[in-house]
Amino acid sequence: MTPDDDSLRSPLARVRYLGSARSGAQESWMMRLSSAILIPLTIAFIWVMLSLVSKSYDGARAEIGRPLPAIIIMLFVLVGIYHMQIGMRSIILDYVHGRAKEWALIGNLFFAGVLALACVYSVLRIGFV
Amino acid sequence: MASTDASPPLRARPLSPHLSIYRLTMTMAMSISHRITGGALYVGTLLLAWYLIALSMDESAFGAVSGFLNSIIGQIILFGFTWALIHHALGGVRHAVWDTGYGMEKPTRDQLAWATLIGGVVLTIVVWIIGYAVR
Repeated sequence: MTPDDDSLRSPLARVRYLGSARSGAQESWMMRLSSAILIPLTIAFIWVMLSLVSKSYDGARAEIGRPLPAIIIMLFVLVGIYHMQIGMRSIILDYVHGRAKEWALIGNLFFAGVLALACVYSVLRIGFV
Repeated sequence: MASTDASPPLRARPLSPHLSIYRLTMTMAMSISHRITGGALYVGTLLLAWYLIALSMDESAFGAVSGFLNSIIGQIILFGFTWALIHHALGGVRHAVWDTGYGMEKPTRDQLAWATLIGGVVLTIVVWIIGYAVR
């Protein structure tokens, strides 16, 4: 992507990493979009979790083994972790500086990625194994 | 192209007035709690992952997570997780309303902030009453 010519920011500001590096609005928009999707997903997730309260090991497996609860949990986990990854990124950018910031940003991505994979894998395994 | 060392030196960037400057207001408190509950949910996702992984493994792994969640500490953490989730969700709705430009006036913005605070507590208690009723 080439720097857009309409930008009011000077090339120097861009080089020095000040302000948005062209994709700032995209992140902000994705945060709002994922928030909107998460409202119905959160209601559905709480509903699925409430249905698990009284269940034994076998009962809970049977419940999450059904397509609708499984899809709800996986969607909630995927959209939720995507959303929280952006949120933690902005917390890190606000409070962590220097080299620690770089490691925190990398750690954030790893945490989100590993957690998302672990949750989705588990739900699929409950359904198929 | 000019050589790079010809560029002017970096100046300290201007900062907007921050927490220590202002008296604490309701909207500020809710903004802070939105971030704190967001951070708590980030860590709390580990609990959901633990639950799902254990359920996908075997009965003894599930017994461990189930035993923890049913202990007093587990119930307090789970209650906190429920509240953080609902409080953060309602905070998101409040921000969505503000994004449209509505509700920024003096009485309305405080009413919205109070509504999400009280609504979060009430809805959390309702969810837990249902949870204990179906137990």
